[in-house]
Amino acid sequence: MSFLSNPEEEAKEYLPRYQLLYIAIGLVGLIFFARLWYLQIVEGTELRRYSERNRVKEIKIPAPRGLILDRDGRVLVDNLPGFEATISPQYATRLEETAEAVGAVLGLSPQSIVENVRTSRRRNGPFRPVRIKDHLNLDEVHRLKMLRWDHPGLNVNEVIIRYYPLGPNGAQLFGYVNEISRDQLQRYNERYRGEFVFEQGDIIGQSGLEEVWERTLRGRDGISYVEVDSRGREAATETPSFLGFKPRPAEPGDNLVLTIDRDIQEAAFIAMNREDHIGPRRGALVAMKANGEVLAWVNTPSFDPNDFSTGISPQLWSKLINDPFRPLRNKVIQDHFAPGSTFKPFVALAALQEKAITRQTVLPSPPFLRFGRRNYHDHSPTGHGNVTVLEAMERSSNVFFYKMGIALGMDVIAQYSRLLGLGQRTGVRMNNEVPGLIPDSEWKLQAVGEPWQPGENLSNAIGQGFVLTTPLQMAVAYNAIGLKGPVYRPYLVRQVLDQDNDVLNEFFPEVLRDASRPENEGDPYIELEHFETVKESMRLVANGERGTARWWKIPGVEMAGKTGTTQIVGFSADQIRGRCDERPLHLRHHGWYVGYAPAERPEITVAVLAMHSCAGSSGAAPIVRDVIKAYMEKYHPEKLRPQRIAAPEIQPRPEEVSE
Amino acid sequence: MKANQVPAALQVEERTFLSRIDLNFALVILALNIIGLINLYSATHGVHVDGTSRLFWLQMAWLALGWAVFFVVTFIDYQWFYRLAYGLYALNLGALIAVKYFGTASYGAQRWLDLGFFRYQPSETMKLIMVIVLARILCQHSSLQGLGFRKLAIPLALLAIPFILTVRQPDLGTAMMLMGVGGALFLFVKVKRSILLGGVLTLLVAAPLVWNYGLKEYQKNRILTFLSPDRDPRGTGYNSIQSRIAVGSGRILGKGFRKGTQSQLEFLPERHTDFIFSVLSEEHGFIGSVTTVGLFMVLLIMGIKVATQARDKFGALLVIGVVAYLFLHMVVNVGMVIGLLPIVGVPLPLLSYGGSSLLATMAGLGLVSSVAYRRYLF
Repeated sequence: MSFLSNPEEEAKEYLPRYQLLYIAIGLVGLIFFARLWYLQIVEGTELRRYSERNRVKEIKIPAPRGLILDRDGRVLVDNLPGFEATISPQYATRLEETAEAVGAVLGLSPQSIVENVRTSRRRNGPFRPVRIKDHLNLDEVHRLKMLRWDHPGLNVNEVIIRYYPLGPNGAQLFGYVNEISRDQLQRYNERYRGEFVFEQGDIIGQSGLEEVWERTLRGRDGISYVEVDSRGREAATETPSFLGFKPRPAEPGDNLVLTIDRDIQEAAFIAMNREDHIGPRRGALVAMKANGEVLAWVNTPSFDPNDFSTGISPQLWSKLINDPFRPLRNKVIQDHFAPGSTFKPFVALAALQEKAITRQTVLPSPPFLRFGRRNYHDHSPTGHGNVTVLEAMERSSNVFFYKMGIALGMDVIAQYSRLLGLGQRTGVRMNNEVPGLIPDSEWKLQAVGEPWQPGENLSNAIGQGFVLTTPLQMAVAYNAIGLKGPVYRPYLVRQVLDQDNDVLNEFFPEVLRDASRPENEGDPYIELEHFETVKESMRLVANGERGTARWWKIPGVEMAGKTGTTQIVGFSADQIRGRCDERPLHLRHHGWYVGYAPAERPEITVAVLAMHSCAGSSGAAPIVRDVIKAYMEKYHPEKLRPQRIAAPEIQPRPEEVSE
Repeated sequence: MKANQVPAALQVEERTFLSRIDLNFALVILALNIIGLINLYSATHGVHVDGTSRLFWLQMAWLALGWAVFFVVTFIDYQWFYRLAYGLYALNLGALIAVKYFGTASYGAQRWLDLGFFRYQPSETMKLIMVIVLARILCQHSSLQGLGFRKLAIPLALLAIPFILTVRQPDLGTAMMLMGVGGALFLFVKVKRSILLGGVLTLLVAAPLVWNYGLKEYQKNRILTFLSPDRDPRGTGYNSIQSRIAVGSGRILGKGFRKGTQSQLEFLPERHTDFIFSVLSEEHGFIGSVTTVGLFMVLLIMGIKVATQARDKFGALLVIGVVAYLFLHMVVNVGMVIGLLPIVGVPLPLLSYGGSSLLATMAGLGLVSSVAYRRYLF
């Protein structure tokens, strides 16, 4: 074991190296000695003067978040000034007394203030000011400012409060802001490493656009330096010019210009909260321009994001969390629902393209269809007689589409529905979008573990069974039908602007695919004439003599669309035809309406889901009409014909409603 | 073992354990410990006392444990570490990898393993384990001609793995220390001139590449800021200027215990860890700073002396490794505080707060003491 010995020659070899080490250590010692001499003895007096005269305190100037503007530049999300009270542990020499005095002004218990400050001191060190209360009112601000002179460490700071002028309207779209939580702190610092450093107490976007666009909206906090006296009180408000400390102003975040139109957004919210015999709707609405620009995005019931900006109370929070209609959820994309009869246009397109029927094919549509050992019912107890696909769509015949389901099978229907954008995420830049579901036999075998049953072709062909779609998907797909092929990616942000209103980033319409052309040789596609047929049938829904949405018209502008009513539990004859509004709320049908205008070539498409409103024709269709009307009034007032004076609005009779 | 066959050692066996320990060595360490504690007390307690700080008590506990480790390591024959080298390396490497997946992060870096009662920083102990591993490999491979490329390959690879893991945390300071300690050992056992030249050339070529692609924005900023502190008054330049003012304003005798206005009132971040020396300089002045630096010098020189007397090559290399470890930390840390070097997150051994670093340092000093305990007595 040679390593155990220290061979003579190698030991000799080592000697000069030891010498070298001694020299290195000696040299460093000399350099350090010289440097310390220079700093502490040559420069010492000067630097001592600095340290005594100038006790520079760093103050963080929070950067305002970027504004969110509508397409015309009107403010949708704003910033307002506010005040908060803090105590700096390092200067709070008489903490108990201070807590007593502050507690009396703010209505807080002195013990909790003392405890708060001590905990933070242990956890974050004595330098970080501890927030005692935010969102002070002016009276509190004045009284605290008077206390400040007797209570070192106490401070009143200006802060920025996020303000949402539309209140609950669009709350799920814009999102809300709140203090960063402990586990978010770690996640965010990893996600934005190298870009931002998040600290406890920072305000971040917690949902909606505020969250998705955090990187853009977030500004950079500024720094200013103030001189403080030995008790930590600010001695001078002027920033001392001191050893090159230049204050750095806060850089506000960049502004977002949305595709949203504030007028349409407001009209949509009013329409959703319609006061008619059904009452304010619970559900989701999305309005989209033909090129994918979203004009309005509403979820009801909603919440007021301003409550979060001003510190939400635990009571209000638990109320929001426990509300069965889940006001915090973005139902436009975050929840999917059975589309019911609004699925029929896709089945019709599939049937025409697959040549199962032609535009002229006439099929009997009795009150029910016997298939297997079950009766599949129509909503009409008398049936619809002999109908073509145009009439079947106009009156929303179930039996006609049961027959289509049998003839095509769900696998074929699924192929064409997916072509138009169903069963997949639309690609809108928002968090938590669900893909919905367009089932086929392969899916069922995998997900349920059972083979596809022939009877399921019938229920799924009328949009029940397994089929699930989101309101946004429906708007995208109907828009594609209206345009005869192109499927657009919906988008919300047109431009990112900096503080000088220079455009930093711009977004443009994007066609994801064209359903009228096969992507590759042999891929499914739909011929233009079939789009024409289905478009005509949807025009009849809104305008035909027996159209299920014929009550809702705009004089001068022709609309097209399709109603849908989805059963919550089963769909026996009794379920389908029984009086819906006599049932408990949570068992009532959902109503859908997806429509566009003008009928010949859409400019705007609106999808509305009105949960538990019993029927699409009365629950959802009038809302779509109101929104399209608001759009036309703004952009094409010349097209509108003046309405006859005092013409009473005709309401659908209940038996007609139950499509 | 072989020690029994050496007559000189036989005589020594009759002496008691304690008298064989190099008492002066232990006393210098103790002196630095005491300075460290006094200083830490000041750094963790503002002008207004609010009970004794938790950090201070923790450090006391670590110190007690550190001394226990010191004595245990002293009495263990260091040949045991020769045998345990790879095992220890594997364990520590495992911990480093665990950090990547289960580690806790703060200040944007993931460096710690939360063991419940304390947060263990594997990269700190890795520096010491690296010394043991390299000492083992190099004492077998060194020759008068210097190390060739083939013999360097394995130790370089063993060094590179923890280096890369640490850089990725990211913790450039600790990674550089690992490299520094390894490099010092290589140079000490002599590397062939051609390889040395090649290494320097590679470094010259690699440096601009690393600058452009390898460094994070904040790391570049720190180096740029060092070159011109006015560049970013908020960022690292602020620390550098404040630290220099703190040191300089101490003048000859200092402002006195817990009277340092810079460290007590101003924002001197990390003042109980990386900037601890500025607290000392401000409160105890030129006298205090020079005494402390002087004590470090004495400690290092005593270490080198132990190496010259080591019974075998492994022992000598162990000691040289520990000396290099202490020396590099001291130079980089103090150099940074007094504005001679850029700001790098490296603790000052025995003075900075931190359990992992303190334990590793005390264990390292224990190794030196262990080699001294079994040295030739001429």
